[in-house]
Amino acid sequence: MKNVIVYVEHRHGATRKVTFELATQAHAIAEQLGGKAHAVVLGAGAARLAEALTAYPLDVVHVAEDADVDTYLLDPAVDYLEAAARAAGPSLILIPNTLSGRDVAGRLVARLGAGVAADVVDVKIEGGRVACVSPKMGGAEITTCVLKPADFGIATVRPNAFAAQPGGAGAAIETLAKPAGKSYAAVVDSDVEEGSGELALEEAPVVIAGGRGLGGAEPFDTLLKPLAEALGGAVGASRAAADAGWVPYSLQIGQTGKTVSPNLYIAIGISGAIQHKVGMRSSSTIVAVNKDGQAPIAEFSDLVVVGDAFKIVPELTKLIQAAKA
Amino acid sequence: MKIVVTVKLVPDPNAEKHIDPATKRLVRTGVETVLNPYDEYALEAALQLKERAGGDTTVTVFAMSPESLKEILRKALAMGADEAVLLSDAGLEGSDVWATSYAMAHALKKIGFDLLVVGGLTDDGSTGAVPGALAEQLGLPCITNARKADIADGKLHVERETDTGYQTVTAPLPALLTTALTFGEPRYASLKGIMGAKKKTISTLTLADLALDAPVGESGSKTELVAFAPPPVRGKGRIETPEDGAAGAKLIFDFLKEKKLV
Ligand SMILES: Cc1cc2nc3c(=O)[nH]c(=O)nc-3n(C[C@H](O)[C@H](O)[C@H](O)COP(=O)(O)OP(=O)(O)OC[C@H]3O[C@@H](n4cnc5c(N)ncnc54)[C@H](O)[C@@H]3O)c2cc1C
Ligand SMILES: Nc1ncnc2c1ncn2[C@@H]1O[C@H](COP(=O)(O)O)[C@@H](O)[C@H]1O
Repeated sequence: MKNVIVYVEHRHGATRKVTFELATQAHAIAEQLGGKAHAVVLGAGAARLAEALTAYPLDVVHVAEDADVDTYLLDPAVDYLEAAARAAGPSLILIPNTLSGRDVAGRLVARLGAGVAADVVDVKIEGGRVACVSPKMGGAEITTCVLKPADFGIATVRPNAFAAQPGGAGAAIETLAKPAGKSYAAVVDSDVEEGSGELALEEAPVVIAGGRGLGGAEPFDTLLKPLAEALGGAVGASRAAADAGWVPYSLQIGQTGKTVSPNLYIAIGISGAIQHKVGMRSSSTIVAVNKDGQAPIAEFSDLVVVGDAFKIVPELTKLIQAAKA
Repeated sequence: MKIVVTVKLVPDPNAEKHIDPATKRLVRTGVETVLNPYDEYALEAALQLKERAGGDTTVTVFAMSPESLKEILRKALAMGADEAVLLSDAGLEGSDVWATSYAMAHALKKIGFDLLVVGGLTDDGSTGAVPGALAEQLGLPCITNARKADIADGKLHVERETDTGYQTVTAPLPALLTTALTFGEPRYASLKGIMGAKKKTISTLTLADLALDAPVGESGSKTELVAFAPPPVRGKGRIETPEDGAAGAKLIFDFLKEKKLV
């Protein structure tokens, strides 16, 4: 492994901060390995996004604005990525640890005969080998996993694990040739976006999360949203709240939802089940508002205020608004 | 139609888990082993599809696991699976995503299927990369995170969750499907199911049955766990019980100010 390749996830050219985090980190790793930093951008909006990526320290941005990428489920994207990897030569491939990122990673494991390190929060080069650090066992162990020497290795990287820093000489943009002789089976008939336009949970510096204790959809709007706005953050939820239909699943935090690590996480009416904890435990500061001082969340919060969210949260929002005014 | 569901046998998700410093594997002693919760959802999906298809549709569960855990598969049989196949061999120990998917693909080819339903994630390994790798090894269309699925005209019609919303997708069979938890809560085994499961077959395969070309297990794996340690301890937090809402709000506000978060 010598080069680093970033798989750029986006929707019609709109991407998340993790893309720039990976672009920045790719350069740092490639420098240590003595190779080049590449990015691959595919599908509708790719050309525009590639331009934006030249502000980051990459050597080459490979682009294919091919309609097939959006018409078929992942197959064309995997073909392009495989082709780009083989053309670049031995490489570490960085993929965001998202639902679709995991799919891409799995497919490339088999295509490239590669190892994969999942949910990576740090990458170190030790004696020329790539070592990936990931929390495992619900965060009870921080593991270091080496990708054995091979042409290709893969890391799915947790959003917010690395800083994004523009810089570099300006990457060359190159068009990827369409891999020949492929036919695709899984057709995307429709593609619906929910809850767009809001600050992405994974990149919010502050997350205000609500759970079953809120009792309904309304408090998410009347209680949590104003607090999130006052603190410049985003609203999240436990699975119980998403399951109840109070918020869309895209707001769910935890093992089956988003992994967040903001500066501040306020858990309101959330008990702190292990599946929730794994998605937020690396937050810098954790505050919980809960009726029950014995709830598991108390074991990993910096401050637990025992009491009724409906009484505490509006007052807190007022204090913060007043301080800002 | 033959549906195969992959299930992993994992330590109880709610138990504290640790890695054995000597073997660098998960400590399984003293912790109950269960069906990976995500795979129970996959099984639920398969059973629903079987019920809707009717006729001679069958559901087979497949696990790659130490033989000593074999009986845990009875639960899947009690829930309604028709038979179980276990791939078990000391040579598989320490397999990573590549080696797991490679060995599983060979076993699944031998078992045969029209539809393969896989869980989205394992509670212990949690890479979520096995489904994609399996699909590639088997040359199948790969449709993940399904919350609804139907089979019509020999095709699989799926509504799937994405990071930002949902999609509808169509693919020909055979195919690989993974399920989101929104597919539906796994059913409980009925008393009749539990009784019936005792008579169902759990057959075993070993590596000798598969004739693999490449090594699996620890030596065939492309990754190696080199170190592990508990995370830095968080200082014990404060627990406060204020007399009213305003006092509670003040406590949080002061704390945030002290931490320079407001
Ligand atoms: C396979 C699997 C995957 C899962 N994945 C996830 C996941 O990704 N994310 C996730 O979150 N969960 C997940 N879960 C579910 C998880 O186990 C818990 O059931 C869930 O997190 C509980 O949500 P909760 O804390 O909102 O609800 P509860 O556990 O019911 O807690 C509600 C809390 O609110 C408090 N409360 C009640 N009223 C008030 C009030 N007025 N003011 C203040 N506090 C109040 C209560 O004291 C209680 O502590 C998963 C489960 C399984 C089996
Ligand atoms: N050893 C195994 N035996 C059976 N199924 C497995 C095994 N490992 C992984 N799987 C399947 O692959 C899914 C995803 O696993 P993973 O990628 O390890 O998180 C699981 O939910 C299982 O359905």
